[in-house]
Amino acid sequence: MLLRIEKGSAVPISRQIIGQIAMLCASGKLQPSQRLPSVRELARELAVNQNTILRVYERLVSDGLLEMRHGQGTFVAQSAKSNSRTVHRERLIEELRQLARQALSLGLTTEQIHDLLAQALDQLHKQATTAEASS
Amino acid sequence: MSTPAIDIQAVHKSFRRHQVLRGMTLQVERGQTFAFLGRNGAGKTTTIQLLLGLLNRDEGAIRVLGHDPENEPLEVRAKVGYLAEDQTMYGWMKCGDILRFMAPFYPTWDHDLALKYAKDFEVPLQTKIKHLSKGQNVRLGLVLALAHRPELVILDDPALGLDPIMRKQFNRDLITHLQGEGRTVFYSSHLLYEVEPVADEVAILKEGRIVRRSETEALRRDVKQIILGRQAAGLLQEKSTVLDFRPDGDDVALTVAGVGIALELLHRDGVEHRVVDLDLDEIFEAYVTGKSHGWETAEDQPVAIET
Repeated sequence: MLLRIEKGSAVPISRQIIGQIAMLCASGKLQPSQRLPSVRELARELAVNQNTILRVYERLVSDGLLEMRHGQGTFVAQSAKSNSRTVHRERLIEELRQLARQALSLGLTTEQIHDLLAQALDQLHKQATTAEASS
Repeated sequence: MSTPAIDIQAVHKSFRRHQVLRGMTLQVERGQTFAFLGRNGAGKTTTIQLLLGLLNRDEGAIRVLGHDPENEPLEVRAKVGYLAEDQTMYGWMKCGDILRFMAPFYPTWDHDLALKYAKDFEVPLQTKIKHLSKGQNVRLGLVLALAHRPELVILDDPALGLDPIMRKQFNRDLITHLQGEGRTVFYSSHLLYEVEPVADEVAILKEGRIVRRSETEALRRDVKQIILGRQAAGLLQEKSTVLDFRPDGDDVALTVAGVGIALELLHRDGVEHRVVDLDLDEIFEAYVTGKSHGWETAEDQPVAIET
């Protein structure tokens, strides 16, 4: 499990870790029943306070992404993938809101913003098809 | 175990006419990793020296693990591990020699543990101290501070002069060997982004007093910048704590503590505003150099900040 802490970021460290683990669950890089490092191991690896890691795990358990099995450790929950979508959806909505605010302050109209988003999606689709064609 | 690890009550300390601590009060619970923050000259080292009985206070009370360092300095030093800022050790001694040299000073010295830490921290036992790098020097100091199994570890700016890789390694050591074993750690620093991942709580020292003490993440939830129109800003002045202001045309950016209450007020009155999350450095800056008064009439150019 590769996580990256950005120091001095305006995003608190616990939120950074929560976001990244949720992302790994959503993308399937973390599979259900997979065992996570212990609180102690992860704290050491990331050089982050053990209590912070413990709170992160507890939060992810209550969000339904992880489960703690007594005496065995922390594991990815069966329904982690679908539950992680809810976590991500909230974050995505917040990011879109900020983007929309920026676009409006640049003087773009609602239609222009819709167009830009459509263009971006278009580009992604094209990239995906060329990647498929070349493989 | 209900007594705090450190209990400082209304302590004053002056050097001649220079007042360093002015009624400082602070408690640190056992088992915590506590970061003590302040600018250079704020009184961090003075506080630490008072805790160890290396200086005597003018007024107030201090208890370290239940002992008064002024009257019972030996009890305190037997139970406390201390790493001084820029700790100097006998340069002509080999690292292995200084471990043996220090052992008899402490009744609880565990020499096997000292050797284990020396190995964990990659301290070269056959090398003379004067040939150590800065990072090795700090880690040797840490071995000396820990080998008597202290309940409380006091570190005066341990990260000073370490490169980023050494600092990360040092944080790791701190987490594994101190937090992991349930010890209380009290350390001073001014590298906030280094402190943030590691500390349970922080306290900010300014002009000889603690101006804020909080859990790290709670502090970031509580202190944010709100950008709003100048007219509306008066509302916040009364009901919340404004730490800093930056005028910007018709708008003003206020750094506010207790942002929850402030935002409720703004929502209630339907005041248009924008909230900016701050990092720990910015929050620290607002506490130690922020201008909280006079923003109603301030000119567009922010007042120059004293350095």
